[in-house]
Amino acid sequence: MKRVLIFLGAALVAGSAMFAATAASKTAKTAADDPNNANLTYWYWAESDAPGANNWLKKQVALYEKAHPKVKISIVTQSTDTLTSAFTTAAQTKSGPDIATQWATLPTLSPAWAGATVPISDYVPASETKNWISTAENLWQGKIWAMPQYLIGIPFVWNKQLFKKAGLNPNKAPKTWADFLADAKKLKAAGITPFGMGNKDGYGGAWFFSLIGKQNLNSINELKDAMIGKADFADPKFSGFYQTLADLKKQGYLNSDVASISFGQGFELFGQKKVAMSWGTDGNVAQWEKQVGAKNMGVAAIPIWGKGKLATSYDVTQSSDAFITKWSKHPRAAAQFLTFLHTPQALRAWYKATGVFPADKRFPASAVTDPIAKQMLKLDQSPLSVWPENFVPPQVDQNADLAGGEMITSGSGSPAQVVKLWKSQLSQWKSQHPDEFRNYQKWATGH
Amino acid sequence: MAFAFGFPLVQVVRDSFYAGNFDSPIWVGLDNYKGVVSDPAFRQSLLNNMKLLLAVPVMLGLGLAIALVLNDRIRGGRHYQSIVFLPYVLPATAIGIAFSFLLQQNGVLNTALRKAHLGGLAQDWLGNSHLAIVSVGGLVVWQQLGFAVVVFTAALLSLPPETAEAARIDGAGWWQLQLRVLVPQIRPIIELLTVIQVITVISWVFNYVYVLTAGGPGFSSSVMELYIWRSFSNGSNGTAASVAVMLLGMAGVLIGLSLWVRRQAIAA
Amino acid sequence: MRATARGSLVRVLSQHAFLIIICLSALYPLWFIGSTALRSNAAYQLDPTGFPSHPTLGSLRTILFDEPLPRWMWNSFLVTVSSVAVSTFVALLAAYAAVFGRFRGHSIFLSTSVALMVVPPVTLLVPMFVFMVDTGMVNHLQSVIVFYTGLLVPFAIFFMTGFFRTIPQELIEAAASEGAGPFTVFRRIVLPLSGAASFTLIVVQAIWVWNELLIALVFLQSESSRTLMSGLAQFQGRFVTNVPLVLAGALVSILPVVVLYLSGQRFFVRGLTAGIGK
Repeated sequence: MKRVLIFLGAALVAGSAMFAATAASKTAKTAADDPNNANLTYWYWAESDAPGANNWLKKQVALYEKAHPKVKISIVTQSTDTLTSAFTTAAQTKSGPDIATQWATLPTLSPAWAGATVPISDYVPASETKNWISTAENLWQGKIWAMPQYLIGIPFVWNKQLFKKAGLNPNKAPKTWADFLADAKKLKAAGITPFGMGNKDGYGGAWFFSLIGKQNLNSINELKDAMIGKADFADPKFSGFYQTLADLKKQGYLNSDVASISFGQGFELFGQKKVAMSWGTDGNVAQWEKQVGAKNMGVAAIPIWGKGKLATSYDVTQSSDAFITKWSKHPRAAAQFLTFLHTPQALRAWYKATGVFPADKRFPASAVTDPIAKQMLKLDQSPLSVWPENFVPPQVDQNADLAGGEMITSGSGSPAQVVKLWKSQLSQWKSQHPDEFRNYQKWATGH
Repeated sequence: MAFAFGFPLVQVVRDSFYAGNFDSPIWVGLDNYKGVVSDPAFRQSLLNNMKLLLAVPVMLGLGLAIALVLNDRIRGGRHYQSIVFLPYVLPATAIGIAFSFLLQQNGVLNTALRKAHLGGLAQDWLGNSHLAIVSVGGLVVWQQLGFAVVVFTAALLSLPPETAEAARIDGAGWWQLQLRVLVPQIRPIIELLTVIQVITVISWVFNYVYVLTAGGPGFSSSVMELYIWRSFSNGSNGTAASVAVMLLGMAGVLIGLSLWVRRQAIAA
Repeated sequence: MRATARGSLVRVLSQHAFLIIICLSALYPLWFIGSTALRSNAAYQLDPTGFPSHPTLGSLRTILFDEPLPRWMWNSFLVTVSSVAVSTFVALLAAYAAVFGRFRGHSIFLSTSVALMVVPPVTLLVPMFVFMVDTGMVNHLQSVIVFYTGLLVPFAIFFMTGFFRTIPQELIEAAASEGAGPFTVFRRIVLPLSGAASFTLIVVQAIWVWNELLIALVFLQSESSRTLMSGLAQFQGRFVTNVPLVLAGALVSILPVVVLYLSGQRFFVRGLTAGIGK
C-alpha cells in the first residue's frame, strides 16, 4: 500500500516537474529591435466597418514579407464582442500581440493610461504622422498613441424604390426627425418595414446613442462631464433619446426581429431590400450599393433630432486604430510595418478593396469616382464631427450603453430604468477602477 | 488536488477584498460585496440561476417518462436510447451556436411554426427578455435529457422483476404500475440525479448562456458564471472574486445536500 | 394478462409516437448544422429551413484551409489526451488506495473528493489566472492541462472508488494470501477488471475537456494555442453573417465526438450508469 502511495506521489512530482520545465523553457531572447528582422503578431479588426479589410491586410502582409524576408507577421482577426475584453485580459498577462486594434479614444487611451501601450509617435516621425487624419482622437500628453487607417462616416440611407412604392418622393431624404417619422408612417402603411437594425448584441442601441442621442449636446465636453459625475446623465439632454428609441419600437417602425438578430445581421436587411431606411458605415454603404444598385439608394446626413450644436455634427471617426504594445520586443519593426500601410500603393488598394476612405491627406480625392462615394466623402468632410461612444469608458459602454439599448429594443426596460443602469454602472466603474477614473478625469478636464 | 483547489480558494477570498488593477490592488474591505449586491445585473444573474432550477423537474420528469416507456421492452428500445442520449455528448458550444440561429425571431423554429399555422406560438425566443432565460433552460433540458434517461433506465433495469410481476398479477393497470410501483423504487436515484442537476444548473451553464444569448438582452439572461467572467474581462478582478466567493458559498450548501442524499441512496 | 388488446395497441403506438417526437427533436439541430454547413450563404439567406439542394463543400473548405481550425483541433486534442490521461492514472491509484488500502482518513479523502466536484471552475478562475501569468504558463497548453487535470480528479476518484467497491474483497484477499504485494494485486487483478469502467471514465472526461469553453477562453488567447471550442465561439462573432461557415465549424467540432460515441456506445452507457448507480 505504501508503495502505491509513494509511486503515486512520485508520478505527480515528475509530472509537475515536467510541466514546470516546459513552461520555463520560453527562452528570453533579447534580440535587438531590428525593424527588418522580427516576428510580429497583429490583432486586427476592421471587417465589420469595412468589408474587404481582412483580405486587404492579408495581401499587404504578403507584399511586405516579400520585401522584408526576415519579417513574419501573423494576423489574428478579432471578434467585435470581445475586441476590448480580449485585450484587457492580454494586458493583464503583459503578453500578447505586438500590434493591437481598438476603437479610438477611450478604448485606446484606457490601456495607454494603464501603461500597456507605447505612443506610435515615438516611433514614427512627425513628417509622416502629419499626413494622418484624425490623430487628435488619440492624443494624450502631446503624443499620438495610435495610427488611424481609415475614416468612416455613418450616413443615413434610404431605398428609393421602396420610397416610391409608399408614395414618398424617392429623391428626398428625411431632414428632420419629424420628416423621418412621417416617412416611416407611410412606409408602414404600405407594408414596408421602415427602419432596419440588429440589436441582440447591443451595438444598434449604441449607434443610436452616438447618432441621435448626442444631438442635444453643445459639445462633447458635456458628455465627458457626465462620465465623471460633474453632470447628471439623467438630464434629458443626455438620455432623452431612449424615449425616442422606445417609441420607434412601440410604433412598429423597426424590424420585428431587432432584438434577436445581431448587429452584423441587421446590416444585411437593407442590402436584402427588406427595409426602406437604415444607417451604416461608408463601408457598409459600398456593399449595399452592389446589392441594391447605386441608382436605387440615396445617402444623406442623419436626420436632425436635437437642438444642441451637435445636432448638425456629422460622425466621422477613424473608428478603429492600430497601436504598439508595451511588451512588444519589436516596436520599431511594428512601426515600420504600420507605416507601410500608409504608402500610396496600400492606400489605393484599401480604397479599392473596401470603398472606405483612408485616413491620409495624401490620398487623392480624384480616386473617388463613384457618385455615392463622392457624396459620402463630402459628408465626411463636414466641419464638425464627433463619435460619442469613443468617449465612454469601455466597461460602461458594454454594461450600460450596449445593455441599456438592448433593454429598450427588447421592451424589457423603460428609459428611466436605462438611465438608472447608466448611473449605477458609472459609479461601479469609478469604484472598481479608481486609477482609470482618475486618468479620465485628468484627461477630460485638462483641456 | 490541494494545489488545484486549496491555494486558489484562499486566493479568491483574498482577492474579493480588493479593487483596482492587477498590479495595483487597493484594499476596499466589503465594498465589492456591497457593490455587487446592489448591482441589478448581479441580482438578475442570481435570479436566473434560480429560474434555471425549474428546468430540473422538467428534465427529470421527461427523462423519467422516457425511461419508463423504454423499460416496457419496447421494440427498438436500444436505438431510441442511443438517439436520445446523443445530445448529451455534443459540445454545448456548437449546439448553442446552432440554436442561436434556430431561435431567432425569423429563424427556423418560428418560420416552421408559422408555416404550420401555429404562428401564435412563434415568440422572440432570444430577443424577449422574459423568454431569453427560458430559451437557455430549454437548451439545458435538450442536452441533459439523455443523461437522465440513461441513468433512470439503468436504475429501472436493476430492479427485481418480482415486484413488478406481483403487481401485474394483482391486476395493476399500466399507469398504476409505473407510478405506484416502479417510480417509488428508484426514488433514491431520482433524488441523487436531482442534486446533480441542481449543481449543474448553478455552476455549469456558462457555455449555454455565452453562446446563445451572451446574457442578453441587456443582462436579462445572465447567470452568475457569466457575471464573474464579465467582471474579469473588464479587469474588475475584485468584483469577480467576490461573486465567486458567493457562488462558492452556494455550492457549499449544495455539497452538504449531496452528501446527505448520497448517504440516503446508499442506505436504500 | 394485460388489459384489452386494443388498449395495449393504443398504448404501444402512443409510446412509439412519444419516443419518435423526442428523437426528432434530439436530431433536428444536428441535421440543421450538417445541412446548413453544406449550403452556400446565399441559399441559406433565401430560405433558412430549406433542404440543401445544391450542396457545396465551400464552407468546409474555408474553415479547414483558411482558418486555423485544424490547429485548434490539434490543441484541443493535446489538451484532452494529456489531462484525461493524468487524471485517470491518478484516479486509478488513488481509488485503489482508498478502497483497498488501510490508510487513515480515507473516508475524509473521499468526502473531500465529492465536495470538490461541486466547486464551479469559474470561481477559481481569477487566482488560477494570476498564477498562470506569474509562472508564464498563460497562453501555453500546460496551463489548461494543469487546471483541467485538477478539476477532473475529484470526479474521477469518485467514479473509480464507486466501481472498485464492486470488486469482491475475496479476490483481493485470495491474491494477497498467495503472497502478492499490493502493487501486483493492482496490476494483475484490479486493473484488468476495471477495463470497461476505465474506458467509460476516459470517454466521459474526454468529452468534458473537449467541450470546455470558459477556461480555454481565458487562458489560451493566442491563436496558436487556442482550443477548438473557444475558436468556434469567436467564429460566431466574426462570421455572424455567414451562418453556413459558422455551422461548418460547429460540424467539424462535433464529428469526433459523434464518432467516438457511436463506436463506444454500449460500454459508455453501461459503464456510466454503473458508476452512478452505486
